[in-house]
Amino acid sequence: MSITAAPVSAHGFDAYLAHKRRRRINNWLLVACSVALLAWCFWDTIMFDTDWQRMGGALGIGGTLERFLLIDWSLLPKLLVPALETLMMATLGTILGCVFSLPVAWFGAANVTPSKYFFYPLGRFLMVLSRSIHEIIWALLFVGAVGLGALPGILAVAMRSVGFISKITAEAIENIDPKPVEAIRAVGGNQFQVMYYGIVPQILPVIIGTIIFEWDINIRRSAIMGLVGAGGLGLVFFRQMAMFNYGGVTLVVLAVLVLIAIGEVISHYARKAVI
Amino acid sequence: MRHEKIIVEGRAQRGLPAKVADAMSILEVRNLKVSYSTGGPQILKGIDFEVGGDDFCAVIGPSGAGKSTLIRCINRLVEPTEGDIILFGQSVCPLNSGDLRRLRRRIGMIFQEFNLVNRMSVMDNVLSGRLGYTGAFRSFFKAFPKEDIDRALNLLERVGLQDHVDKRADALSGGQRQRVGIARALMQRPEILLLDEPTSALDPKISRDVMGLIRELAAEFKIPVLCNIHDVQLALETCNRIIGMQDGYKKFDGPAKGMRKQDLDEIYAMEVL
Ligand SMILES: Nc1ncnc2c1ncn2[C@@H]1O[C@H](COP(=O)(O)OP(=O)(O)OP(=O)(O)O)[C@@H](O)[C@H]1O
Ligand SMILES: [Mg+2]
Repeated sequence: MSITAAPVSAHGFDAYLAHKRRRRINNWLLVACSVALLAWCFWDTIMFDTDWQRMGGALGIGGTLERFLLIDWSLLPKLLVPALETLMMATLGTILGCVFSLPVAWFGAANVTPSKYFFYPLGRFLMVLSRSIHEIIWALLFVGAVGLGALPGILAVAMRSVGFISKITAEAIENIDPKPVEAIRAVGGNQFQVMYYGIVPQILPVIIGTIIFEWDINIRRSAIMGLVGAGGLGLVFFRQMAMFNYGGVTLVVLAVLVLIAIGEVISHYARKAVI
Repeated sequence: MRHEKIIVEGRAQRGLPAKVADAMSILEVRNLKVSYSTGGPQILKGIDFEVGGDDFCAVIGPSGAGKSTLIRCINRLVEPTEGDIILFGQSVCPLNSGDLRRLRRRIGMIFQEFNLVNRMSVMDNVLSGRLGYTGAFRSFFKAFPKEDIDRALNLLERVGLQDHVDKRADALSGGQRQRVGIARALMQRPEILLLDEPTSALDPKISRDVMGLIRELAAEFKIPVLCNIHDVQLALETCNRIIGMQDGYKKFDGPAKGMRKQDLDEIYAMEVL
């Protein structure tokens, strides 16, 4: 094409303008539709679904707020053990989740899977399964299976962690540099040695980062496990709520906040230390 | 030839080292054909040659001729499609995975891009050459026997890396990394060395140093070498035998001294040097 190309014909110019106009109309239609959809959602969920009778007006809201703000500090010593339990639940759940993740990641990484037609789809399915079931549902299942207490919470946290950890690990395995792996095969290394010397050093930083991240999230998850009877701070929260002790509820919420902040700080430094 | 092979196998059966009998040939490649996919293009189209005990044999030829494919067939990193490879008196192709591992322990390999585990120390990289002889427990804890550690330290000194033992592999320069690769291969106490363009990633001066080092060590430990190499000049300087390949065929096979200019021109189908 040269600079002195044929001038844009009148027809081409008109077509261009028409095209532009059409695009603008389309855009406006899209915006209008979105707004209508939003309005409908708002109407249906808030205006229609809310029990307006129970809304006590500004006075009611203020009263409730006041009840929550009168923090019941006498509860504080009784929170220490549940808080530790929550932390333990997160930690053990993460560790157990890592253990479960090992085979899942191995199955679900295309380049190391023992069988492309059976184990690979199985691994991928387990990853999706773990993540598509909410931790509370996992906890309900395990409370049903092993009874109340911290154990079902640990198991639930573990199951919920498998998806993320194994998915990231499998992806890291798929993205490794194959050259060192080849070298270990060439010296006569067996399957385990190839993995341990050729693959693990390459994926270790990613995995450790992921585990720390998951542990951080698992503190949040463990904090609500008690709502379904699986121990920890959530259980205290549930009891205070049942006793209408709003001051106690607030204290538990504060305790959860502190716990999460502690987790944040620890994981920040842990991540710095490894990476 | 057949007679010799029987002798070798007989010795192996009686538990005698095969080394005594194989003065003739350590490696025999017969009518080797390879295609990477069934029905795909044939990369090697019937290669025959033998490598003897004191060969330092260069494989040269244009890019895509199939040199890497040939080298990698010998320890079955690539599966041969047809033909036979006989190494230390046993056929390589029918081996099951356990026997293949045991065979690979005896083959040292040095790679173009060094193929070190970057996040591991120089020492651990060198020691990983012994993995074929190391049990699961020791491998897991990276607890190699003392004689392996002594040998690794010795070899690192031989290749001039005694001051870099604890460094991470990716903290070294290219020439130093290839020296780690050499030490790792020699850690195996190999009975043959396969080199796939060991100097292509290095500058001309370092290339000569590295090839000189390999030649010196190979002569010292009496290990025959089969070496892919792009630098024809370097091949003629270092090796005592040249195999020339072109488009999946062997075009030349003879002593490096007797190689004429027109032999080279024919391999590369152009004027070389
Ligand atoms: N893993 C593979 N899958 C399919 N084809 C391959 C594979 N590896 C190599 N090839 C093909 O085989 C042919 C020969 O490749 P090879 O690497 O053996 O050549 P080479 O002589 O080593 O070349 P170079 O000098 O560039 O290293 C090439 O056409 C290449 O495309
Ligand atoms: Mg090559």
